[in-house]
Amino acid sequence: MAAIETREKVAALGEKYKYGFVTDIEMERAPKGLNEDTVRFISGRKDEPAWMLDWRLGAFRRWVEMREPTWARVRYPKIDYQNAYYYAAPKRTPQKQSLEEVDPKLLETYNKLGIPLSEQKLLAGVAVDAVFDSVSVATTFKQKLNEAGVIFCPISEAIRDHADLVRKYLGSVVPVTDNFFATLNSAVFSDGTFVYVPKGVRCPMELSTYFRINASETGQFERTLIIADEGSYVSYLEGCTAPKRDENQLHAAVVELVALDGAEIKYSTVQNWYPGDENGLGGIYNFVTKRGDCRGRDSKISWTQVETGSAITWKYPSCILRGENSVGEFYSIAIANHFQQADTGTKMLHLGRNTRSRIISKGISAGRAQNTYRGLVSVHAKAANARNYTQCDSLLIGHECGAHTVPYIESRNSTARVEHEATTSKIADDQLFYCLQRGIGQEEAVALIVNGFCKEVLQQLPMEFAVEAQKLVGISLEGSVG
Amino acid sequence: MSALVLPNRRVEDWKYSDVANVIDAASVAAAPAAKWSIASVSGATEIGDLPAITPRGPHGAMAEFALASANSGPYVRVPKGRCGELRLDLVSGGYGRAVIVIEEGGQLVLHEKVTAEDLANIAVDIVVGRGARLTHVRHAATNDAAQFVDYAVRLVEGSGYRSHFANFGGRLSRVELHVLLEGEGAEANLSGVGALDGAHADLTTHVTHAVGPTRSTQLVKYVAGGRARGVYQGKVTVAPGANGSDSSQTAKGLLLGDRAEIDLKPELEILADDVKCAHGAAVGDLDMDSLFYLRTRGVPESEARAILMRAFLADAVDDIVDEALRAEVWRAVDAALEKLS
Amino acid sequence: MLEIKDLHVAVSGKEILKGLTLSIGSGEAHAIMGPNGSGKSTLSYVLAGRAGYEITSGSIRYRGEDLTALAPEERAAKGIFLAMQYPVEIPGVTTLTFLKTALNAQRRARGESELDAVSVLKLVRAKAAELKVPEDMLRRALNVGFSGGEKKRLEILQMALFEPKLAILDETDSGLDIDALKLVAEGVNALRTPDRAMLVITHYQRLLNYIVPDKVHVLSRGRIVKEGGKELALELEARGYEEIVKDAA
Repeated sequence: MAAIETREKVAALGEKYKYGFVTDIEMERAPKGLNEDTVRFISGRKDEPAWMLDWRLGAFRRWVEMREPTWARVRYPKIDYQNAYYYAAPKRTPQKQSLEEVDPKLLETYNKLGIPLSEQKLLAGVAVDAVFDSVSVATTFKQKLNEAGVIFCPISEAIRDHADLVRKYLGSVVPVTDNFFATLNSAVFSDGTFVYVPKGVRCPMELSTYFRINASETGQFERTLIIADEGSYVSYLEGCTAPKRDENQLHAAVVELVALDGAEIKYSTVQNWYPGDENGLGGIYNFVTKRGDCRGRDSKISWTQVETGSAITWKYPSCILRGENSVGEFYSIAIANHFQQADTGTKMLHLGRNTRSRIISKGISAGRAQNTYRGLVSVHAKAANARNYTQCDSLLIGHECGAHTVPYIESRNSTARVEHEATTSKIADDQLFYCLQRGIGQEEAVALIVNGFCKEVLQQLPMEFAVEAQKLVGISLEGSVG
Repeated sequence: MSALVLPNRRVEDWKYSDVANVIDAASVAAAPAAKWSIASVSGATEIGDLPAITPRGPHGAMAEFALASANSGPYVRVPKGRCGELRLDLVSGGYGRAVIVIEEGGQLVLHEKVTAEDLANIAVDIVVGRGARLTHVRHAATNDAAQFVDYAVRLVEGSGYRSHFANFGGRLSRVELHVLLEGEGAEANLSGVGALDGAHADLTTHVTHAVGPTRSTQLVKYVAGGRARGVYQGKVTVAPGANGSDSSQTAKGLLLGDRAEIDLKPELEILADDVKCAHGAAVGDLDMDSLFYLRTRGVPESEARAILMRAFLADAVDDIVDEALRAEVWRAVDAALEKLS
Repeated sequence: MLEIKDLHVAVSGKEILKGLTLSIGSGEAHAIMGPNGSGKSTLSYVLAGRAGYEITSGSIRYRGEDLTALAPEERAAKGIFLAMQYPVEIPGVTTLTFLKTALNAQRRARGESELDAVSVLKLVRAKAAELKVPEDMLRRALNVGFSGGEKKRLEILQMALFEPKLAILDETDSGLDIDALKLVAEGVNALRTPDRAMLVITHYQRLLNYIVPDKVHVLSRGRIVKEGGKELALELEARGYEEIVKDAA
């Protein structure tokens, strides 16, 4: 039952960009532009304690001194950081206690997106936090999770109610000054999800956050912090959509994961922000810093991403393999069609002994898109017996797109073993013809072949989502052949 | 030359070879002209001075300094349809440039040896004409200097280039090889070995398939011990429309001891769809099972290690066709391995 | 069923078929034999509608309809099946998934209801058992790592599953040992019904011992140069193409 409904939910993600609609709802915004007052405004709206405001201001002051990075293979006009809103929230929402108090317009929006938020309609196995522009508007199954001791709430709430945990871990994986976009996020992040799984607890359900950008000229800066205490396990999935607009909107998120001794975090993303139209007009600029810290021994962090949206993707979910015997994984499908540009990959930093990592990346380029895999495997001197295996395959559809592979392998330990393989190919004419001859139409054939190409990654997704993610793969490539 | 700013590790291309940290701009600017010893071993090679107009680049950042300073240097020409063998030794460092042109249907075996032990910054331009062939064997002894040698090789229709570089490193040793496959049917086969006992060696290549069909292969092997650092950065670009490009890259490192480092960055930039491009890279240690096996057969450990290191490097040396040159490179490799085992 | 008239086909500007005429009726099995390079595979690709095979003149009518106007997948849905000489590998796509996708695409095109996974599995299992295709093959990626014989058996399994009106078998015997050949032939013969036609393309007479044709056509340099009954295949085997072609000229 749950599986079927979940499938329907992701099925919604899978149909042609049908969530390009806008919800007409009364919004409250911070004044346009970015300065210390903006930061104070955001912090004030969230009733944050002074330490949090200081943290944000510290970040803002550093950010002013920083320069936007240019090393990625993405080209875009200069972003005017003063010409955007940094906070937008539906007027009626915050402080919501129960779903009954949520603005019916919002509930309707999420219904349209295929994410019903009323618990009786919800899939039994998945708890959802819905983030609408700058605020979390609904979190489901809190009660059931509470019974297990799992904290699953908007990060704005965690800052107030679980300050000790937030203070201890926020910025401990992605330091405030890590990079331009992460620092910006540290100054102005508005909401996001906080998860804490206590010692020895296996989280009883999939956790998921659904991010929605609605307001125009507004950036979304969500912040996610997941802590898996000793011996615990959690699987988390995020989905993202935005309305169709001719303007480019900035999304700069930070995700921090901490896995203590023996803990495991599985983090899956289906990113389908509006990619812009077939002429490259509009779309989300997606500059995201995601990093997991395998802090404890025998811990494991696994990233799986299906990246089909955004005009620009700049994203390198990484693992710091600090704990002995810790394991990092990165499974990625990145599809770039039309004028999309994706520069995505991972960093596996082997610090501890017997650490292992595995990278499977499948990049698909079509139209006039540019798709780059950029990955670092670094073995430090003390990482005895570290192991890495990387497989990186690119598929080109059409002759006007580009596929690029930029792996960095740095080894400083003689007992470590690092292996990297990469291939680049196109869909063979004979494969396509074979499918056609058996009665499968062109677009379905492309979807089938590309799904085969991506199989190893799709298998990593939670089962209910994998089937429908396949559909999304096909839909993202519509119009790429013929 | 007014503003000589040396590349540092924050510059992407020089991430693993931090020039600014090893030498200063003044010593680069003050370097004398480099000296070569050139000898035609056989055949019809013509040796003369640089003509007024010469092929040039594209080169890397350090070579641009050399080009700005050097206005003389050896010029080698193999006339149309002729064959030759040439010995070109860099005997003392400094800045310098050389130009080698092999005309249509010509063939050259170029044996280059570096014995200079001081700062060197050299730019070499090579043109391999229609249907012509160049075999380029280069080896550089270990020294304690910073040395930069940068080759730009243009391959015209149907031409072939085979390079075999053995580098035993220096304080900072960087060889750049820019290969432009600009004519249909051109083929480049590059191989490089480095046996490093404490030295730094960087092989940076950029192979551009400007048209198709063209073919390129690269095979690079490093053994690094002591505080050595072996670097391979290899980029393959397939230009838009260069359909039928076929490229492969293999880079492998053997790391001995816990103070050495190997950095590999095989990079693909593909802008055409009908291509076959693959690369593989691996870093590891000696295979313990093989080592054990050899020892059970009575081979002492250090000898067994030497055998396995030699076996690891073998395919990148054995592809030198010329027997005498192959033997010479093996002698140099064996001498370096002896220090490592 | 199939009417080919004075068909001229060029590939990359080079004329391969030079005025081929052929007619196959319902319930008939015809064999096309010819030396390498005579245009046998070109004929099969043209009938299936592969891109790059340009019809410069002539016509192909299939069940009264102009075949050349149809896309390959439309032809498949209308009952044309080509068992390929070199079945293609598709990594990551399991055989079963592929069969279900193709079967339902054809059904959809014909306005029939799609079958669910369970029904497809039942159907495929039944056919697989007849052709001795092991169950684990269905779970492996399509044709990836299959032996030559396995690939050919899978082609015949697909033919049995899709129940085409016109089946074209392109060198189905190549790469098969005698047991596999018998098995494949049995599978083909089981599908010989009055409402179905077969076009068997082969270099050797061997296959025709098991799939006995009603008519044999000899193809040489893009034309049918000789026609006869099943005994013509034996004659070819005995005398060789060269002599037969010379006689015909």
